[in-house]
Amino acid sequence: MNEERSREGRSRGFLALIGQASRWLGALAICLVILLPVVWVLSISFKPPQEWLAYPPTIIPVEATGSNYIVLFQPGNPVGGVATMVSSAEPVTKALINSLFIAPIATAASVTIGFLAAYAVSRYRVGGTFMPFFTLTTRMFPPVAFAVPLLVYYRLLGLIDTRLGLILMYTGFTVAFSLWMMKGFIDGVPRHIEEAAVLDGASPWRVLFTITLPLVRGGLAATALFVFILNWTEFLFALVFTSREAITIPVQVSHYVGAVGRFYGPQAALGVVASLPVVVAGYLIQRHLVTGFTFGLVRE
Amino acid sequence: MASKVERPLVGGGRKPAPARLLRVLKGEAFFRGVLAMPMQLLLWFLLIIPTLIVLYLSLVAWEPRMGTDWWQAPFSWFRNYGHVISDVRFWQAIVRTICVVAVAVMLEFTIGLGLALFFQRDFLGKRLFTSVILYPMMLPWVVVGLAFYLLFLEKGPVNYILIHFLGFKAGVAWYHYPVLALSTIILADVWQWTPFMFLILYSGLGALPRDPVEAAMTLGASRWQIFRYITMPMLKQVVIIALIIRSLEAFKIFDLVFIMTGGGPGTATESISLYIYRLGFVYGQLSYAAAMAVLILISISIITRLAVRPLEYEV
Amino acid sequence: MGESFIVLRRLRKEFGELVAVEDLDLEIQEGEFLCFLGPSGCGKTTTLRMIAGLEIPTSGDIFLRGERINDLPPQRRNVGFVFQNYALFWHMTVRENLAFGLLVRGAPRSEIKREVGEMARWLELGDLLETKASRLDLSAMQRVALGRTLVTRPQVLLLDEPLNNFRPGLREIMRGELKRLQKQLGSTMIYVTHDQEEAMTMGDRILVMSAGRKVQFATPRELYQEPNSLFVAGFIGRPPMNLLEVTYMQEGDRAFLRRGELLWDVTPLRATIEEGLRSERAVLGVRPEHVLPVEEAKRRGLQDTVVRGKVDLVQPLARKKIVDLFIDDTLIKMVVPSDFPVAKDDQVEVVFHPQETHLFDKETERAIYNGLS
Repeated sequence: MNEERSREGRSRGFLALIGQASRWLGALAICLVILLPVVWVLSISFKPPQEWLAYPPTIIPVEATGSNYIVLFQPGNPVGGVATMVSSAEPVTKALINSLFIAPIATAASVTIGFLAAYAVSRYRVGGTFMPFFTLTTRMFPPVAFAVPLLVYYRLLGLIDTRLGLILMYTGFTVAFSLWMMKGFIDGVPRHIEEAAVLDGASPWRVLFTITLPLVRGGLAATALFVFILNWTEFLFALVFTSREAITIPVQVSHYVGAVGRFYGPQAALGVVASLPVVVAGYLIQRHLVTGFTFGLVRE
Repeated sequence: MASKVERPLVGGGRKPAPARLLRVLKGEAFFRGVLAMPMQLLLWFLLIIPTLIVLYLSLVAWEPRMGTDWWQAPFSWFRNYGHVISDVRFWQAIVRTICVVAVAVMLEFTIGLGLALFFQRDFLGKRLFTSVILYPMMLPWVVVGLAFYLLFLEKGPVNYILIHFLGFKAGVAWYHYPVLALSTIILADVWQWTPFMFLILYSGLGALPRDPVEAAMTLGASRWQIFRYITMPMLKQVVIIALIIRSLEAFKIFDLVFIMTGGGPGTATESISLYIYRLGFVYGQLSYAAAMAVLILISISIITRLAVRPLEYEV
Repeated sequence: MGESFIVLRRLRKEFGELVAVEDLDLEIQEGEFLCFLGPSGCGKTTTLRMIAGLEIPTSGDIFLRGERINDLPPQRRNVGFVFQNYALFWHMTVRENLAFGLLVRGAPRSEIKREVGEMARWLELGDLLETKASRLDLSAMQRVALGRTLVTRPQVLLLDEPLNNFRPGLREIMRGELKRLQKQLGSTMIYVTHDQEEAMTMGDRILVMSAGRKVQFATPRELYQEPNSLFVAGFIGRPPMNLLEVTYMQEGDRAFLRRGELLWDVTPLRATIEEGLRSERAVLGVRPEHVLPVEEAKRRGLQDTVVRGKVDLVQPLARKKIVDLFIDDTLIKMVVPSDFPVAKDDQVEVVFHPQETHLFDKETERAIYNGLS
């Protein structure tokens, strides 16, 4: 829709310059608004206790300190004044390790299963029109609705507060995404390439893994990152189904807000730690996100 | 297909069994079946069975505290449903959630559309801005909740700005008043999800064919007329999908409420997800929660079906 | 007065590094049916779009009725444009498409209704008025695209290869319809195409472009009989003109064109030739329809160098035959009547019609003479 681009001859002159400048300013303002909460959290995470509620609030800490971060991992360790206040809190290490374990595995499983199923739907129309849409119901309904029966179910299977239980759950609830995203990419691979391979005598498995898969590598990566973000940030199921053993980072954050009360420094620090992996993942994804988001609906 | 040849039992000439098996494994029918199987299994495991269980639960009177196992609970049929319908707190939560969804999604759509239009032209640093804009969506909901919680504290930056730049006399006690508390939640959601709307609308706009716009120009249409008669109608499908998706997601709102206000003050900001959560996992009234959940499931299904109708026509 | 209707002066359009249109001068009269002709990428569509206002020239001027319109947006130029793929408003009905131009001008409802009705009747779209544009067949789409702009009574109608999507039979019919329409309305039409046959049959005058530059601007007859360059000579006419490299020689006070063992005496044209030739390398051009068997030449009383060739292929068509002839190692084509006896591997003798032979300088590719004697 670059109706403006070809008329660039007009873009000379003073008026145009003002237009450009105001655009730039507008964009800058938007960025600031977006960054404000982030910056604020970062700022608090580096502030010592006396500055947490300092008024007027400042962005740059007067006395920057890393003690908030240290406290996350060693709450009993007296480091500055903070440690004594938070000695009742638990170290974050366990949650961190759990998340680092659960999220990637669940992502891998989800993407793999989704990829296979997407291939089946795309090429063989498995499940007709009903099944693929049916999978979307996992995303449509509030997770609580599933959590209630799953509690009963999981208790029976002994999966409460286990990593495996959570992995299964995450895989199941993101597989719909994987399926639909991968389906889009697989649809984009022309069939005749695969058919040529079949004519050459390749088995369907071979075709899938040596021909189709490399061609949708980019889509696979994008899907994986997307699902990873979903898994890493998932809260409700983790809240319900984990307590000590399989606790994940988001739940840990909520504990800090609750149990630790007014200790905003460590809370903020934990928020930052919790966000880092997804920020990194997001950075890798952004290329893919801006393009194919139209779900194949807009007529070209 | 190779024709079946009867081979004598005696004297060999038969393919060794493993090779036959391998042939089957490589065959297409098997392939087809296996591909979707893991997903089918998952669906059964996580979708179908739980749905059956929740239906069952809703029809019995069971509270784990009572010590009985769930399959021993007595049937109370539709009594739970009756309770739900007469539960004021339930309706309040529903209405409240719908309001939040409506306001938040409308804001997200408007701002997102404005941004998408704004970004149609190239300008300096556009790429940088485009990447920054994506980050709010990636942060864990709990962190977003935390961030906004901190922002709206009595002595936080928002109040500071209000007092010093906008001339308020005193800071606003955001979490004390229901409407204000809800507003902070809405603002957090808008902050986080406007980029989503922006992305969809931006891609949608970018994928629109350019020719009809040029044709409209040669016919004498002003930019506004082009937007109104050409661009927006063509975008309709994308817009509807975006609104549906976002609304469904917003309806589930839980994390933000949990972290920011805990449903407070009182139950003033309790979303429906939070209420069901409390019923089931804090008060232990699982059957009741199940009934409520079933009602929600049915309602969402019906409404989604209706909302998707305008789309089916076009295709 | 005496000013042309549309004037392009030193028009130039650059897209970054690419120069799409270079130094174009053109004067178009009101009521003309003009064709922009050239291969893909030669700049004809870009020029058309600049006239419409969909592209802004990098430099140079465009005048309409004496007024400079470079900065005038397309909305205000009242120029009709028919796109190659019609660019209909897919989500609107035929009626809404036709009405659009009037709608955005704020015309009263009654007027819109009347005009749309008339246009629909004229273009035989009456039954389709309530159909969605996306469901039309090709011919209907084209009529809607046409009707949509005609309704606004544009001063100029610009068409960008609008018949490309039609299959051959229908295409010829539509060409005739468009031409008839233009005469009827008396409007100025500029028609872009890469098909030389189309341009030759439709245009009052044709602008031939190549690589962004104007090559020749003339009537079809002039382009055919007096091409000003190798490009035009080879582009116009089907089958295309035969082009043979020759060397110019002088021997005493006689002048010759020589190719291998073939010699053409060109003494009477010596002065003209030497004026135009840069070196002794030249190109001799003769259209297949002007390659005559010796008997035919004799019958017409034409005398010239006899060329011997061997038939390689005979393609019979409706009313003629196209014969591929090998002269030594060069392939030329000739056109003979259907009943002319000829078969593969025959040896034939031909004469190039002396008044219809062209000479071009090899280096500059410009024509030196059209019609040697």
